[in-house]
Amino acid sequence: MRALLIGLLTVFKHLFMRPVTLEYPEKKRELSPAFRGKLYTSGCIGCGICKKVCPSGAIQYNKDSDNKVTSYTFDLKKCIFCGNCMYYCPKGAIKMEPEYELGSDNISDLKLSYKGGNND
Amino acid sequence: MTQGWLGMTKTTLKLNLGPQHPSTHGVLRLILELEGEKILSCEPDIGYLHRGMEKMAEKLSYIQYLPVVDRIDYLAGCFYSELFCRTIENALNIELSERDKNIRVLLLELNRISSHLLWIGAFLMDLGAVSPFFYSMREREMVLRFFEKLTGQRMMYNYFVFGGVRNDIGYIDDIKEIIKILPNKIKDYERIITDNPIFLARTKNKGILEKSVAANYSITGVNLRASGISYDLRQNDYLYKGYEFNPVVLQGKDAWARYKARILELKESLNLIRQALDKISKTKTQAKTFISPLGIKLPEGEYYNEIEAPRGLASIYIKSLGDNVPYRLKWRTGSYYSVNLLKKLLLGEFLNDAIAIAGSLDIILPEVDK
Ligand code: SF4
Ligand code: SF4
Repeated sequence: MRALLIGLLTVFKHLFMRPVTLEYPEKKRELSPAFRGKLYTSGCIGCGICKKVCPSGAIQYNKDSDNKVTSYTFDLKKCIFCGNCMYYCPKGAIKMEPEYELGSDNISDLKLSYKGGNND
Repeated sequence: MTQGWLGMTKTTLKLNLGPQHPSTHGVLRLILELEGEKILSCEPDIGYLHRGMEKMAEKLSYIQYLPVVDRIDYLAGCFYSELFCRTIENALNIELSERDKNIRVLLLELNRISSHLLWIGAFLMDLGAVSPFFYSMREREMVLRFFEKLTGQRMMYNYFVFGGVRNDIGYIDDIKEIIKILPNKIKDYERIITDNPIFLARTKNKGILEKSVAANYSITGVNLRASGISYDLRQNDYLYKGYEFNPVVLQGKDAWARYKARILELKESLNLIRQALDKISKTKTQAKTFISPLGIKLPEGEYYNEIEAPRGLASIYIKSLGDNVPYRLKWRTGSYYSVNLLKKLLLGEFLNDAIAIAGSLDIILPEVDK
């Protein structure tokens, strides 16, 4: 009986604490800047390392006859947000931003395409 | 069909517990044969979460497979990362710096805490207590937010790399906060749960796991230690060298003892974290030795390693033919054996105790199905 009372009192204590939950989606928590979310690329030289370290084959890019990257695509349907591409890119061309609401009704939105990729 | 009271016939009932049952923590299907409320036989049916983790390894290079291993047990990804990295490091003779070793211990123990906290909440939820779930999730959130800041993700860290860790430790204040707050919260859980008469009635003397049965069914981890066998791999793990640590061993053998052992393990983990922080503060950040991700090849041979994960002994076996992919990779996970144990442990118990017993073993299905 005593144990029950102590338990109830401990639970009761929580009535006077501040709430810790948020009413998503009206309110959103601030994520850490390191969070691995949406992918961006700029300044790619087309060395192909990211493609080789990606576990899910989510990366595609095209090059023109001058060996310059013309388009660069992440396939969000395949990406597991592991960050390997970002960590191993020798040019630091890939960034992952703390954006996580990437769902869409339109399947083509799930391909993140970036034109060019060269610095200049 | 058996002969019952006054010559009436009795039939048994086949009941499917799961795969969509909220208490099975994933998708476990238990085919139970019942006579009234009594369980006559139990047949676990697994494989609903099978992702082909082992086959996948045969196609992916070692660096590509590294983020995948976090997903074997999504509640304790660090342990499998550590296991995988350790095997590659041993095979290629890569030395870890003292600082990196301590950072790894710190993260492993934090990960163990987050895993045990989730278990406490979920187990109590299974037994019908709702409040502890929210409390333990609240504390777990502190740990996950630290992980998010440091590694960039809450559960799939991809933080351990061959030869060390991805980036140097930071956010020490967050860890200090966790160490400060958590002991009080654990006291709170104990006040609510440990001596609660309803909890006692549902867990004391339920699901008794004898030493011999535990040994025959290859049970490891907390479940084994709550049956009175002192077997904790951390005692002679090379990472934990120089750490003071007492394995939690209880003699209770029942579901209650398994709960209590996990609570005590939380405290033990906090203890290890304190020591790790201390050791880290004595070392300086060093420049990383960069190991090229491409072209990692294991020399021909067989490799084996093991570690004490939150759900028991986890081990890895790699057979390499000298290529950049393994010829065969095999994982051993603690939960797989716990599921098998249900066949034995549930016999003769009542249906409503089945949930309490299965819950107390801390089974997690991604780890079982791989
Ligand atoms: S993004 Fe980086 S790693 Fe990938 S091809 Fe471009 S430069 Fe190479
Ligand atoms: S985050 Fe991982 S899965 Fe996604 S594109 Fe980069 S390497 Fe591939």
